[in-house]
Amino acid sequence: MLSIFIVLKRVSLIGDGLAHTAFGGLSLGYYLDIIPLWAASIVVVLGSIGITKATRSRSISSDAAVAVFLQLGLASGIVLLSLSHGFGVSIESLLFGSILLVNIDQIITALTVLAVTLVIVFVFYKELVYTTFDETQAKAAGIKTWFFDYLLAILAGIVVIASIPIVGVLLISALLVLPALTSIQLSKSFKQTVVLSPMFGLTSVVLGLLLSVMLDTASGATIVLVGLLLFGTVLAAKRVGKIWSAQNLKPT
Amino acid sequence: MSAVASSSSTPAVQLQDIVVEYPNGVRALNHITLDVFHGDLMGLIGPNGAGKSTLLSVILGLVAPTSGSARLFGRSISSKSLMDVGYVPQNAQPADRQFPSTVFETVLLGRVASAGMFHRLGKRDHEKVHSVLSLLDISDLSDRKIGELSGGQMQRVFVAKAIVSDPKLLLLDEPTSGVDSKSKNEFYSTLARLNREMSLTIVLSSHDIGAITSLANRVVCINRSLFFCGETSDLTSSSILSKVYDYPVELIHHTDHA
Repeated sequence: MLSIFIVLKRVSLIGDGLAHTAFGGLSLGYYLDIIPLWAASIVVVLGSIGITKATRSRSISSDAAVAVFLQLGLASGIVLLSLSHGFGVSIESLLFGSILLVNIDQIITALTVLAVTLVIVFVFYKELVYTTFDETQAKAAGIKTWFFDYLLAILAGIVVIASIPIVGVLLISALLVLPALTSIQLSKSFKQTVVLSPMFGLTSVVLGLLLSVMLDTASGATIVLVGLLLFGTVLAAKRVGKIWSAQNLKPT
Repeated sequence: MSAVASSSSTPAVQLQDIVVEYPNGVRALNHITLDVFHGDLMGLIGPNGAGKSTLLSVILGLVAPTSGSARLFGRSISSKSLMDVGYVPQNAQPADRQFPSTVFETVLLGRVASAGMFHRLGKRDHEKVHSVLSLLDISDLSDRKIGELSGGQMQRVFVAKAIVSDPKLLLLDEPTSGVDSKSKNEFYSTLARLNREMSLTIVLSSHDIGAITSLANRVVCINRSLFFCGETSDLTSSSILSKVYDYPVELIHHTDHA
């Protein structure tokens, strides 16, 4: 559901930036021997605020701001790893995720984040839509667009934190982007897009999981590949549909 | 067409000695003082870079003046006072033309600010949207996606979005740029009708001097500084426009034949 706003606001790479920032935060948590999820959450929220502040001040573009935080998170995470001799946790699972190794705490975290996201999107739906539609017009209408920019970025951050165990740092942005891109191809209204996007996300996860068990492949990557396949299929079907309609409209 | 002017004592917009200077030292507006009265249909004319958009942005609170004061309906500019203002930006279209909303959903966005933060849009808001679409003769476009619309259709949708919240003031920034002549004339007729039937105060910036002078009851001519602010009928001298545009302009008055 969040992915629609992220894609339409043209901040699709924010998931990548925040995921790499989270990697740095997780590494920091392990290094300092504090609960890594809490350390990562704090670092990611700070990262969300930093990216949004840099973009809104117009000192750098949003993609450049994301790139800065991405490199900062990744580099600091690798340095912290090299300063230690392993944390007793698989770095591979952090980078690539493994839904089959997700524990009960991570499931509870994910469900909590889902509930919080649903409530926030429900309460502020119309303002989020307007600020996504056109920030200047929303501001001219008296809407505090800065609040919703920060809200969206922080929400994206906590969703990234909850999703890393499933798909990993390297692939999380795909889960944030693909469902929305797919639903936009099919929908005839914004409301339809909002309904279809989480359905495509859920389909990718369920199908991807089943396939990864059957084929014994990495679950995170399989989920993302299913998402890409769905997107490609919808795009191709739409193209074929247009060609077919055009052919049928030709005079005989 | 004649605009409706009201005798309400507090102007809708009061700009007092407005200066807007950007950090690079460029002065976009230089000591502008003017009032917009309730019921005015005011035309704002000037060349590119004259500060027309900046002036509208000051009224909307999007640009803070370097000095001077701006008031809306007798109050300082705030989220509350902006609820009574509708705005149609230059080249009105969504930030992303692929934005997957219908015309109905787009116009409904105009009700967001007035609904309040924790209130959902309901039946009354939907009825208002239908009513405005009908007023502007675009009901048949209701289910179309906005990315599929022509320039003229898009303009009407954004006017609908701007007036759906029953504003007291409508600001339009070069609303007919990129629109064909027929659509332009229809658009200006619509504005005149809104001003007449809804007593809607309108400020319209445009390069179309002919349309502005035939449509508006008051005209403002600016090129960073204020060259003229008054009744359209008092704008009789071509020299004012020549100074504004820094180019020879000849004003030809057409008389209506009975």
